[in-house]
Amino acid sequence: MSNTLLDVQNLTMKFGGLVAIDDLSFSAKKDHITSIIGPNGAGKTTVFNCLTGFYKATAGSMYLNKDNNQMDLKKFSDFKVAQKAGVARTFQNIRLFPQMSVLENMMVAQHNKLMVASGFSILGLLNSRSYLQKEKEATEISKYWLDIIGLTNRADDNAGDLPYGDQRKLEIVRAMCIEPHLLCLDEPAAGLNAKESAELNKLLKFIKNDKKTGILLIEHDMSVVMGISDHVVVLNYGKKIFEGTAAETKNSPEVIEAYLGTED
Amino acid sequence: MEYFLQQLINGLTLGSVYGLIAIGYTMVYGIIGMINFAHGDIFMVGAFVALIAFILFALTSIALPIILILVLLIAMVFTACYGWTVEKLAYKPLRKSFRLAPLISALGMSIVLQNYVQAAQGARIKTLQPVIQGGFNFFKESDFVVTLSYLQIFIVLVTIVLMAVFTLLITRTALGRAQRACEQDRTMTALMGINVDRTISMTFIIGSSLASVAGVMFVMYYGVIDFYIGFLAGIKAFTAAVLGGIGSIPGAMLGGLLIGLIETFWSGYISIEYKDIAAFTTLVIVLIFFPTGFLGKPDIEKV
Amino acid sequence: MGKDLIQKSLKDSLFTGIIALALFGPIVGLRTVAKNEVLVVEPKWLVVLLIVIFCAVGRFFINIYTFKKEQRRGEASSFGKAISHFLDEKGSQIAIGAIAFSIIFPFMPFADRYWMDIAIMMMTYIMLGWGLNIVIGLAGLLDLGYVAFYAVGAYSYALFAIHFGWSFWICLPIAGLFAGMFGILLGFPVLRLRGDYLAIVTLAFGEMIRILLLNWYELTKGPDGLTGIPRPSFFGLPFKRYPDEGVETFHTFFGLEYDPMQRIIFLYYLILILALITNAFTIKIRRLPVGRAWEALREDEIACKSLGVNPRNTKLTAFAVGAMFGGFAGSFFATRQAFISPESFTFIESAIIVAIVVLGGMGSQTGVVLSTIFLIGLIEVFRDFESYRMIAFGGAMVLIMVFRPKGILAKRKPTITMGKHG
Ligand SMILES: Nc1ncnc2c1ncn2[C@@H]1O[C@H](COP(=O)(O)OP(=O)(O)OP(=O)(O)O)[C@@H](O)[C@H]1O
Ligand SMILES: [Mg+2]
Repeated sequence: MSNTLLDVQNLTMKFGGLVAIDDLSFSAKKDHITSIIGPNGAGKTTVFNCLTGFYKATAGSMYLNKDNNQMDLKKFSDFKVAQKAGVARTFQNIRLFPQMSVLENMMVAQHNKLMVASGFSILGLLNSRSYLQKEKEATEISKYWLDIIGLTNRADDNAGDLPYGDQRKLEIVRAMCIEPHLLCLDEPAAGLNAKESAELNKLLKFIKNDKKTGILLIEHDMSVVMGISDHVVVLNYGKKIFEGTAAETKNSPEVIEAYLGTED
Repeated sequence: MEYFLQQLINGLTLGSVYGLIAIGYTMVYGIIGMINFAHGDIFMVGAFVALIAFILFALTSIALPIILILVLLIAMVFTACYGWTVEKLAYKPLRKSFRLAPLISALGMSIVLQNYVQAAQGARIKTLQPVIQGGFNFFKESDFVVTLSYLQIFIVLVTIVLMAVFTLLITRTALGRAQRACEQDRTMTALMGINVDRTISMTFIIGSSLASVAGVMFVMYYGVIDFYIGFLAGIKAFTAAVLGGIGSIPGAMLGGLLIGLIETFWSGYISIEYKDIAAFTTLVIVLIFFPTGFLGKPDIEKV
Repeated sequence: MGKDLIQKSLKDSLFTGIIALALFGPIVGLRTVAKNEVLVVEPKWLVVLLIVIFCAVGRFFINIYTFKKEQRRGEASSFGKAISHFLDEKGSQIAIGAIAFSIIFPFMPFADRYWMDIAIMMMTYIMLGWGLNIVIGLAGLLDLGYVAFYAVGAYSYALFAIHFGWSFWICLPIAGLFAGMFGILLGFPVLRLRGDYLAIVTLAFGEMIRILLLNWYELTKGPDGLTGIPRPSFFGLPFKRYPDEGVETFHTFFGLEYDPMQRIIFLYYLILILALITNAFTIKIRRLPVGRAWEALREDEIACKSLGVNPRNTKLTAFAVGAMFGGFAGSFFATRQAFISPESFTFIESAIIVAIVVLGGMGSQTGVVLSTIFLIGLIEVFRDFESYRMIAFGGAMVLIMVFRPKGILAKRKPTITMGKHG
């Protein structure tokens, strides 16, 4: 069995007359960080929105290989993509639950599991032992991730009160709480300083290598892209203009042209 | 057939009234993205101002057409003051607040207006003697005579004239441009040196004046009003705005006409007791199945 | 500088006076009254004059005051902070004190019939507020038709009690269940709507239920209402002075003198218990996954979806649970009044309950109590001025939104803390 995790074929998304994604095909491997790059408005976020069921793609197919089960992502609407297919994502403009504590954010991400454990609230209301045990385990998992990003001491503060860089990291580990097969990150390094960027690189490598979770990464920060990508897909005006390793991408004339424009 | 025609005439007249109110909802929604819950009550205030003006003019010997024009102007001016004040007091301080705050403030304002008019003018219904009488009769030989009253003609004509003036205002003037700019992006508009506060105030003034014209028509058409008419009329007009696609001005007028027709045909053919249910049911069905209405822009949430 | 300010303020207050004249001139100054079946206008210029002067002068002083306040702003806001800080710190003590007070309340020397009635009314609103707090405060769904569930509870209680003669404790859960089912039925189609659309649709549903109650004469007796709803009994012991032959009553069983207050006190404890159950339930469920998901949905629905939370089911449970408590409160209302008609279930009731929740501070249980005392107290103080009291009420809604949009108690406590688990 190949180790392809995600297979996208001929994906097209139109908004009225605007073709945001135009016949895009690419695939991502299990043990890879696959980056999607491209100038502003190239359609990167739209690819994520189609994958995660927020938009209904106009045409094309998207398959996720989940433990050798081919799952047709087009069949799932928004929340089911996360629940059933195990695709987690973050957002370009961070979407935490700002008035809830950091720990609560992590607990909401484990909602489906805890919901079953609480007997759909019945056992929970009765204070059942088994539920309390599960809740404790979920807290442990949260603590595990918070330790990794160094936010354990702020677990009880409101997520909205964290500094920007910490919010980014929190959003990523929150997404990891659903135990995804594929993690889609939309510009996680945006607004981070060099030190934070480096920490982010470490975190992403850890997720890839130790958690065996495939990562799809949208990023403008070339140092991040070049430092950690195993594979790069370049979009421009919704079309794939290049695909290859980080080193190949860096030297590709098409890519340079798309970013810098032609010279004549 | 004759009965159908009569319902059609009545429905279009009523629809004009709803349409004029609906424009206020749609404009405010377009520019500040809130449902102006008190708009129905602004309409009610307009109807009361008109009632008072009619009673006063009845004591004079001014000619009817002049009275009509004067009453319309008076109602527009005084009601616009209400719209302007409501915005300044209850909505403007809340522009940056959490999303439900202006809605709740509007709810409070609606309660204030209703009870204020009740306190000032009394809770009993008010009757106005018919101002314009007579009309054309058709199908005189058949069992059912269809009447097209002068009043109905007046209402539809005024609506058409106002719509024309108003469309010019929105498409051709600087104010209209400023309004559309504010709808797109308020911060940018302010940076371009357009006075956003004044544009929003003007929106409320225009919306309230149109609602007051609807109030004038309402009091002339039905001849009875009380402090509570704004509640139902407001919901129906809001339905009209949604039906036409909230944010769209021609949509509001179209929606108004449709709601007027639905209501009259429902009472004419199905049941008069449940006629308000017709409007509510339409509202629910429209919101659930066609949340963008007929002329609204599709609303894909940008993620 | 100072002179300039005064000049500006004078100009501004003149403008305010003109606007006030335009506002109040026709509506207040020209009162229409029916004389011999014909409407005539009765001028009331003095009132208008007073109002206009009041507005202009008031505006003048506000201008002067806000200018001077620039230096004192810090002080003023720290005072507000101190109050909410105090309430946060001493929250649990205050709650225990309040519960203790409400338990001994009926035996206070001043607790006569009037005070007991007010207390029962307030308790009912507190219970409704706590019920609706689940929907609005936690799940963030602005439900303007909550009174519909109150009505469904009251009517189903009344119908079951009248037609089947079942006792309060059997009818109560049935009525709650009915209301909850109604909540699911209504919620199913509408819960995917945007916040403000949801508000209007729930309002429409509330009105539809009322119109239905008014016109479905065979079942509801329309505007005449349902009479003869059985009064609750104390575990089978009725509160009656002259019971039927051979029936033991509350006062004979306990060897007391008959006193109509016994029934009132019993009703008071009944609603107190119901309200406290609602409160305990909410506090508990807030800490369960479903409760956390409610709040998360209020915060960011899109983020919830990305984490696999089913928004519709989650909202539906909030809607149904809230409706159920509304239904319980409705049962209590029916049994207390022994008579219900659609008049008791108008939109204004929904508005009052919404106001209680929002003014209290979204999601704050203590806030509901405080705002009930404030708002219902306000309505009560103005009892003899029918429409003025509603003006005051609506005005309070606007003012609190403008000056404290997050409500009286804005601070939220996390549902789980790291400290607890290590
Ligand atoms: N919901 C929508 N409705 C209409 N057009 C949309 C919608 N979402 C995206 N678009 C359009 O699709 C195009 C691609 O947008 P997208 O957000 O995917 O770009 P991007 O590559 O993520 O850019 P950036 O780097 O700025 O985030 C843009 O022209 C955008 O305006
Ligand atoms: Mg993007």
